[in-house]
Amino acid sequence: MNQPCNSMEPRVMDDDMLKLAVGDQGPQEEAGQLAKQEGILFKDVLSLQLDFRNILRIDNLWQFENLRKLQLDNNIIEKIEGLENLAHLVWLDLSFNNIETIEGLDTLVNLEDLSLFNNRISKIDSLDALVKLQVLSLGNNRIDNMLNIIYLRRFKCLRTLSLSRNPISEAEDYKMFICAYLPDLMYLDYRRIDDHTKKLAEAKHQYSIDELKHQENLMQAQLEDEQAQREELEKHKTAFVEHLNGSFLFDSMYAEDSEGNNLSYLPGVGELLETYKDKFVIICVNIFEYGLKQQEKRKTELDTFSECVREAIQENQEQGKRKIAKFEEKHLSSLSAIREELELPNIEKMILECSADISELFDALMTLEMQLVEQLEETINMFERNIVDMVGLFIENVQSLMAQCRDLENHHHEKLLEISISTLEKIVEGDLDEDLPNDLRALFVDKDTIVNAVGASHDIHLLKIDNREDELVTRINSWCTRLIDRIHKDEIMRNRKRVKEINQYIDHMQSELDNLECGDILD
Amino acid sequence: MEVLREKVEEEEEAEREEAAEWAEWARMEKMMRPVEVRKEEITLKQETLRDLEKKLSEIQITVSAELPAFTKDTIDISKLPISYKTNTPKEEHLLQVADNFSRQYSHLCPDRVPLFLHPLNECEVPKFVSTTLRPTLMPYPELYNWDSCAQFVSDFLTMVPLPDPLKPPSHLYSSTTVLKYQKGNCFDFSTLLCSMLIGSGYDAYCVNGYGSLDLCHMDLTREVCPLTVKPKETIKKEEKVLPKKYTIKPPRDLCSRFEQEQEVKKQQEIRAQEKKRLREEEERLMEAEKAKPDALHGLRVHSWVLVLSGKREVPENFFIDPFTGHSYSTQDEHFLGIESLWNHKNYWINMQDCWNCCKDLIFDLGDPVRWEYMLLGTDKSQLSLTEEDDSGINDEDDVENLGKEDEDKSFDMPHSWVEQIEISPEGTNILEIKEWYQNREDMLELKHINKTTDLKTDYFKPGHPQALRVHSYKSMQPEMDRVIEFYETARVDGLMKREETPRTMTEYYQGRPDFLSYRHASFGPRVKKLTLSSAESNPRPIVKITERFFRNPAKPAEEDVAERVFLVAEERIQLRYHCREDHITASKREFLRRTEVDSKGNKIIMTPDMCISFEVEPMEHTKKLLYQYEAMMHLKREEKLSRHQVWESELEVLEILKLREEEEAAHTLTISIYDTKRNEKSKEYREAMERMMHEEHLRQVETQLDYLAPFLAQLPPGEKLTCWQAVRLKDECLSDFKQRLINKANLIQARFEKETQELQKKQQWYQENQVTLTPEDEDLYLSYCSQAMFRIRILEQRLNRHKELAPLKYLALEEKLYKDPRLGELQKIFA
Repeated sequence: MNQPCNSMEPRVMDDDMLKLAVGDQGPQEEAGQLAKQEGILFKDVLSLQLDFRNILRIDNLWQFENLRKLQLDNNIIEKIEGLENLAHLVWLDLSFNNIETIEGLDTLVNLEDLSLFNNRISKIDSLDALVKLQVLSLGNNRIDNMLNIIYLRRFKCLRTLSLSRNPISEAEDYKMFICAYLPDLMYLDYRRIDDHTKKLAEAKHQYSIDELKHQENLMQAQLEDEQAQREELEKHKTAFVEHLNGSFLFDSMYAEDSEGNNLSYLPGVGELLETYKDKFVIICVNIFEYGLKQQEKRKTELDTFSECVREAIQENQEQGKRKIAKFEEKHLSSLSAIREELELPNIEKMILECSADISELFDALMTLEMQLVEQLEETINMFERNIVDMVGLFIENVQSLMAQCRDLENHHHEKLLEISISTLEKIVEGDLDEDLPNDLRALFVDKDTIVNAVGASHDIHLLKIDNREDELVTRINSWCTRLIDRIHKDEIMRNRKRVKEINQYIDHMQSELDNLECGDILD
Repeated sequence: MEVLREKVEEEEEAEREEAAEWAEWARMEKMMRPVEVRKEEITLKQETLRDLEKKLSEIQITVSAELPAFTKDTIDISKLPISYKTNTPKEEHLLQVADNFSRQYSHLCPDRVPLFLHPLNECEVPKFVSTTLRPTLMPYPELYNWDSCAQFVSDFLTMVPLPDPLKPPSHLYSSTTVLKYQKGNCFDFSTLLCSMLIGSGYDAYCVNGYGSLDLCHMDLTREVCPLTVKPKETIKKEEKVLPKKYTIKPPRDLCSRFEQEQEVKKQQEIRAQEKKRLREEEERLMEAEKAKPDALHGLRVHSWVLVLSGKREVPENFFIDPFTGHSYSTQDEHFLGIESLWNHKNYWINMQDCWNCCKDLIFDLGDPVRWEYMLLGTDKSQLSLTEEDDSGINDEDDVENLGKEDEDKSFDMPHSWVEQIEISPEGTNILEIKEWYQNREDMLELKHINKTTDLKTDYFKPGHPQALRVHSYKSMQPEMDRVIEFYETARVDGLMKREETPRTMTEYYQGRPDFLSYRHASFGPRVKKLTLSSAESNPRPIVKITERFFRNPAKPAEEDVAERVFLVAEERIQLRYHCREDHITASKREFLRRTEVDSKGNKIIMTPDMCISFEVEPMEHTKKLLYQYEAMMHLKREEKLSRHQVWESELEVLEILKLREEEEAAHTLTISIYDTKRNEKSKEYREAMERMMHEEHLRQVETQLDYLAPFLAQLPPGEKLTCWQAVRLKDECLSDFKQRLINKANLIQARFEKETQELQKKQQWYQENQVTLTPEDEDLYLSYCSQAMFRIRILEQRLNRHKELAPLKYLALEEKLYKDPRLGELQKIFA
């Protein structure tokens, strides 16, 4: 504003321009002097006004991390860009520019007020991230399709909308349509929507809106369903037994096993496979349920542990706080006593006493902390032992169940081999009644081929089972180690933080006392 | 006796508790240093002793200057009623009977002391003891039970020993006199107590007997002091929370167990010694205290009260010593023998041997072998199953039962000569007054005045215009000690309580959007101004304001101020922030606003030493001078606001006081909307409604008015109208109506003309006297004219309207008549 830009020459948003703007719009008078003295960091700026500056391209704004309000109106900006870092932005004014499409706003999740008045926008979209949007100004643009309104239905907080002087606002039904499709809207084109209009609009468009609502509800339900399924799966995953509550594993065993599939056409194999599958699935479900149960157990164990640790820390903190409060009370009174004391030797004596108090407090707090560290260490070790035992037991049991699977597979393999060989013999003897698929018949060339085929199928199956087992074991083990590591790390962090806090406090107290000393001597 | 046993139990309990306490201490000693323990123990005892001392010091003993015995001379008998001074013939008769009885008794038992039958009263008139009892039920609910009665008698009267400890007194005064002078001997005590107990429905008797020295002298030194008996402490139920699996272990105990054991041993030794010493001491005391053998043991006359079981749900017979008000078992060894006993109906002599105190006595007054009664009439038989209350019936029975004694015994006791016993609360010290109110517009519910501290407390129901809940104060002057509590939900500022002392004001808040919870302001002495100063125009200077805030969950703890102190005089502002959840220290900040000037004469805006801060988590932006400057400026504004708030609070207090005074002066009552008699508004409304109803009713009646009724009445009833009759009826009706219309028109016309004439007259008169008229007369004339014109105009309009409407009305009636079913004949004609 300070320098009128008569020339139409575009200007670049460089550091100088920003500094100047920040300086101009920053604190004034006494505070201004201070600000000048110290300089203002861009990241401390909360609001910035950059209008009438002939800016063509938004740039160099990445430092303004905490900006709440940004005005870039009355420039010649053509593209919304460079705003990615301004995540705290609440108010954005881009009116009177040459923007053609809405874009680059995906990180501005806190935006409540967006003005794109007088631009060249023809379609409302790319606003999905702006969940808190309350005010949207899109007047004087080129929006020509009513369906853009339906897009705005997703903004639950939207109360004020301006779409005047767009092609759609010429439409006869414009106002009614918007009122009907955006029932929560309070102000349209700078006017309050009265209840009467709302009712009329609703009545007019009721049919289509109901349909729309129905669709939306369906969509919502579907989304919720998916969400629920995802959550369920996630839960299973945390128990490390996902996809074991059915025939997934069994199916996957046969998914890549062409020979096995072929062999299933052999007479008698179908029934065999059926019983095999049933048994296999039963074991899988066993593993699954056992896994869930164990997960529950681990969870309660972890919860108890965290609760106890929290309680212990809380208790310890309370003790520390009490000690500090007691100390402060005494300290304050002795400080004021020192201030009032006139005799130098007395002062020195009192100061000495004070520092003795401070170091005593330090000792007390540190003792408390060390005590807590010891106690927690013991508890953590106990927990570690227990959880490792638990995991070990779980793995052992799962392995034994998996061994049962393998046994089944072996059994099945033997049966299959038997059938295959007998079939081969029949083929060789030529008294096979049924027709076999060509792929299958190709296997019955000689004994080796068929044995190899059956063996390959068997190998694939075993591999699958082994893989699943391995996956489970590795995952649970890594979970366990991660958990233990995290607990240890957290405890160390906590300890360091507390020690640092105590030290800081003691240092502060000591320095305060020292300052007092200096002051007294100066006096 | 029940009570006594309980006491013993309590003692035992206390001892046991003490032992338990010691055990507890021993356990605690493992944790604490022994010195501390001992100190605490001592202070504990000292505390109880101090309490005791305080309690004892509150007891005021007034030593009466007069001699304890009040003699006949000190009693003013002039105002006593006639029944005190003379005996009725019936009483004379009774005395004769008593004398006769006494003679027989002394004849039969020559070795026993003479009976205590009819001592002299204050007027030197012999009165039979039973008639001295005046059963009275006190109007005070507190005096309904025996224990409170006994306590009252013991507290109210001063004990005077008998003139001769070996003989019953020669005089027995009426209870009214005793109450008046508030002193008496044991007989006076027991007579009064017995009167009260019988009045309350107890089966009580005055006993003339022998008591121990302690009992007769009201010597309680050998009793347990009731103040040292600790109330039984309720044993707390300790809920043992099961330790959770991962509960941390307590820090390792680094004390030497051996040392502890040694310590415990030493303690036990010391305690044992202490105990021994105490025991010895006690024994010594016991020895010293043990009653010296009383030379007159068993001869000291005493009087007490016997309460027999049966009435008022008394389960067991017991004695009450009227001096102390304590109850004793009938087995108690203080009571050494009974000579005789009486109630208001009869007199019994104990015929049982008292060699073993009263322990073997059987209080079956119906047993003539053990208890010799004087009057047969009111014979009390416990052997019979039916209660015999009605003495009238018994009299008749006894008349027949003449076989045993002479007829004199069938004589019933005359009515007591003693006046109604009255205990007036006069002269008592009022400690506190409670007044309950209802239906007050200012919602005052209870006024509580403590007379000793002079503290008044008003309690309000919800709904006071200032949302008052409780107001306690000593004076209605502002700036004095005062506590006002509010219904905080009814207030916009969420104020719960405001406490004031002459120099401070403390306010407690709840549920405020700015999370303020507490504001304390201390004031300095008022600066004297030359102008007339009142609290409003010259507020006291504020020295310090302390404000505390609840945690605002929306802010991080290190930015959420917990307490801020404005030291107004020092220009210092102290801030203390809330403590973060995982921290033990809280940030602090102190601002010192001093306007200083640097060497060049420029004003220093802000220097780093104007803001001393301690931050738990040092932050970058708070180090900046700009931030500090802005914070300080903000605080200065806040300070101003807070000062204003304090000032407004002071004003509000003034306002409340003013309002309270007005309300107290007016004390208007609220009237329920359902109270239709007294609620003026609803009364008016209701009356208006009634009036409307009435009018409505009238209108309805009018519409239902039968226009044919007067004409039909002329015809014989119940007959169908003939055609001719119908026509005639119709014509009559119509002509009648026409006449009415004409009459009405004439009436209006007549009035119109009258008014016009009067006006003309007046105008003439005016024109004639125009010159001589005073302005007032002229005004009168003019107003008359305008009114007359108005009336004339209205009449004219009415006339016109009538003229217009009359034909229509006529036609309407005609139409109606045609359609009237009663005149059906007409329709036939015209149809």
